[in-house]
Formats: sequence, structure tokens, C-alpha cells
Amino acid sequence: MSDAAPARRAPSKAVRLRAVWYRHWKVYSKFIVANATPAVLEPTFFLLAVGFGLGRYIHREFNGLEYDAYMAPALLAMTSMYTAAFEASYGTFIRLRYQKAYEGMLATPLTRHDIFTGELLWCGSKGLLFSSIVALVLLAFGHLRTPWAVLVPAIGFLNSIVFAGISYLVTSWVKNINHFQFYFTIGLTPLGLLSGLVFPVRELPYGLEYAAYATPLFHTIETFRLVVSGPAHTSVAWAWACPLVLVTMAIVLGALGVRRMKGRLKA
Amino acid sequence: MKRYAALTAVDSVNLRIPRGTCYALLGPNGAGKTTLSKMIAAVLPRDGGQMEVLGFDPWIEQSEVKARLGVVMQSEVFDEDLDVRRNLEIYGGFFGLRGAAFQKKIQELLKFVQLEGRDDDAVQALSGGMRRRLMIARALLNDPELLVLDEPTTGLDPQVRHAMWGTLRQLKQRGLTILLTTHYMEEAAQLADRVGILFKGKLIAEDAPRNLISEHLPPWVLEFDASGHEETLVALGAETLAERHGDRAFVFHRDEAALRRWVGEKAFGAAVVRSTSLEDVFLKLTGRTLDE
Repeated sequence: MSDAAPARRAPSKAVRLRAVWYRHWKVYSKFIVANATPAVLEPTFFLLAVGFGLGRYIHREFNGLEYDAYMAPALLAMTSMYTAAFEASYGTFIRLRYQKAYEGMLATPLTRHDIFTGELLWCGSKGLLFSSIVALVLLAFGHLRTPWAVLVPAIGFLNSIVFAGISYLVTSWVKNINHFQFYFTIGLTPLGLLSGLVFPVRELPYGLEYAAYATPLFHTIETFRLVVSGPAHTSVAWAWACPLVLVTMAIVLGALGVRRMKGRLKA
Repeated sequence: MKRYAALTAVDSVNLRIPRGTCYALLGPNGAGKTTLSKMIAAVLPRDGGQMEVLGFDPWIEQSEVKARLGVVMQSEVFDEDLDVRRNLEIYGGFFGLRGAAFQKKIQELLKFVQLEGRDDDAVQALSGGMRRRLMIARALLNDPELLVLDEPTTGLDPQVRHAMWGTLRQLKQRGLTILLTTHYMEEAAQLADRVGILFKGKLIAEDAPRNLISEHLPPWVLEFDASGHEETLVALGAETLAERHGDRAFVFHRDEAALRRWVGEKAFGAAVVRSTSLEDVFLKLTGRTLDE
């Protein structure tokens, strides 16, 4: 507004991505206590219920562990999966269709790629935050058995990128917000059952075990088992390869999801 | 040019906006105003033709163009739960703006749009007029070289609209280049150095508001209720330019006295003699009213 307006230059890609991330952080952190409470309480209640309730009726070992200790790494995977899936489906759709938040952002130096890559990184950060919180709960219950558990936040980040990417693919295609019900009920819930969440995949019938190996969540859960419970308590002998699959899927699915959402915003 | 599946929204538009001037794109709903302004603001890609905004191709160098632009779109997009200052900080962040100088800028702009002391109010607590002023402040955060406003006063009550015009006039005096779209004739006449009439995606006329009127119509018009005066209208039409739009008849003439004489002679219903407006030009060129 000064008389001789200086020639502005576009900010760098890093600055733009950080700005998108910052926007989401500020909007989210306004109600951080309300938003983060379920992340703490849900796994706590679950571990209490399994540890003092259901677990007492289960007289066998899972991967050489008590049932609640077997479940513990899977809780990290579920938390980071659902937080990213909700953010990049309902959250993104609301911003796209109802809040028109992206329209406002597009009037600034942000490109479509910046908008969705920054948001993807935000989803990853939420996964990092939530898995860290759950890890503290697990620590309190004595379920963190190896020092490699310091890697939990990074794995939570990667898993959230994977599921934000997948959710972007769904969101780029969905026309009505109610259709996300199908995604969660027919997609993610059975995925949890198939991926070794509540029992080891080798116990799946009809060769479904091999289908499990094709799912992203299986590799995340195994990676969490490696660092939380230790290599002796994984579901498959080749669990060491799972982190590599996880990283690859995060890169591929994240990039694909961003690309699809860019197209969705173009219309 | 911008094409949708079966519709060419913007076609063969040729316009130049010299720096420091205000250009108004005038047209009815659906004329292509918003599409064109979004293409200029590097928000929408175009399907053909050439465009240069501040020396850049707006689609190829999106970020460079947008870094130098202030944009006020029709949809008021704010983070409603956050306060005024935080909204401006976040938006400035998209331009890479932060730090003490930027905070000073925020205060300066809040003062300019008369929202001083509202820093800590949640945006959702602001009135419609205040929100629109906040949008102006937000669009000025980056010291833009060009301000693009898409129907900046649509839906505002008259008082707020006049205040908005005052603000835009001040910005113009400071040398800011302004492109605005509107379907209010008065807005275009009040603010713009040049007016382009956009109709069905084509620029059908363009000039300074006053010239636009004198080029196309005589300076005076007699407007009256046409029903029952069909023959009179035909007779007058032989002498001068007469048109009928719906129930209203319009007789244009260079001589005001002649029009007043006719009002005296014939028993016209609800007759009024007034100077020709941009709206009349618009009616003549497009054969329809702006509100349709």
C-alpha cells in the first residue's frame, strides 16, 4: 500500500509448504486439548479393558507375548492410520466443498501442489503427534520393550502419509461426503482385521495371509512390532523388510494422492 | 479463452489495463466476469489465447504473478475459529511474510480498513461489512501491484457499498492498479477509468464510462410505462431512437426539452426524463437487463 510498492517475489517452495502446514497447525491447535484427548484416552481404556478384562480369558501367547502386549504396537498403527484418514477425507472434503479454504489459498502464491503437499505433511505430523502420545501410554503400561521405540514417531509419520495418500485418492473421487462411510466401513475396518491387528496374519484362513502382505497396514504394524516389541515378536520372519515397504508406500501413495487432488481442485 | 464441456465461458477478450488505472468489467451473471478475473489472478488455467499480467504469463508463472497480486474473490474464505490477526498472519505466511515489519503492516492495514483494535476478535463475530473490509486488508498485505476484485460489493447494503467505494478510491489515488468486476452500473461509473462490457464471454464494448454512453446513445432518455402506448412508441421511434424492454419504453434524444415536451403532450404512465446511463448502453448492446 506504500506509494512505491516493492516488487514482491514468490516465496520458495519450502516457505510455501511450511505456511500451509502452519495454517493447519493453527486451526487444529486452537482446540488441541479436545482434539488430543481421545488419542490419550482411547488406547488407555483399550489396554485397561484387554489387560484386566478380556486378556485374562485368553490363555495363549501371540508372537510369544501376552495379548495386551501383542496388541500394543497395533494401537500405534491404528491411531496413525485413522487420524490421517479422517483428516484427508472428511477434513479435506470439508475444506474443498464447504469452507472453500483452497480457493482462498489459491489466490496467494501457493500452487495446487503446495496446498496438498503441505497438507499431506500436516497429516504426517498429526500421525507423529498421536503415535507419540500413544507411545507414552504404552510406556506407562510397560509395553515399550526395546530402545528402538524412539522410532515410533517417525513410523507414525510415515503411516499417516500412506493413509493420507490413500484417502486423497478416495477424496478425489467422492462426490458426496456421506460416501466416506463406505471407505471407513468397507475399507479401513476390514483392513485392520486383515493386517494382523487382533491376531497374527498367519492364522488367517484360505490363504488370506498373502492378501495381508499386500496391504499397507500390515507392513506398518510389523514395523511397529519390530521397534516396540523386538524382532523376536513379529508375525513373519522377514519383518525387517517391512520398514522398506513402508517408506516406499509413503512416497508412492503420497505423491499419487497429491496428484489426484491437484486434478480435483482444477475444475 | 476458457472452455468448459459445452460452454466457452470467455472468448475473444482483448483488453489492456494501464498501470495506475481502474478497469471495471461489467456484465450480467454468467457473462464470464469471474472466470476471466480468475484467469488473470492465476487461479484458473486458460485453454487458449495469450495473457500477460505484470509481465508474466499468469499460468506458467503462477507463483510469481500471485506474489504481486491482491485478490478479493466472491467467496469469503476465512478460518472462522481464529481471530483477525491470526487470519492475516496465516495469509501473509502464504506470501512468505512474517516478522516485526509484517506485524506493523497488519496494524497499518487494520487501521486503513477501520478494523483497528479488532485483532483479537474471532472472524465469525464480524459483521458482513467488516468481513469484506478484512478481505481488502488481507489482499493488501503483500503490497500488491494489481488488485483484482470480483464483485466486491455484491450483497452489501448501500451504506457499506459506498464506504467500500471510498476505500477503493483511496487505493486508486495511491497509484494502485485495480481490476474489478461488477454488475452494478453505478459502481463502474464511480470507480473506473475504463469500462469493458462482457457479455456471453465476449467483450462487446470498451471505453471510459462517459465515452461509452456518448458513443452508443444520445445523452437524454425518456422512460415510461409502455403498455397502451405501442403506437406512440412506433411514431416516436421514427423520429428518434426508441426501445422497449419488458413493460418499460425508452426514448433517447439529444434534446432534453423535446423529451419533456412529449411528456406534456402524451399521457405516459410513470414517465421520467433523465440523463442516459451505462445501464441504458448495456440494455441497448445486449438487449437485456443486468439482473436477468
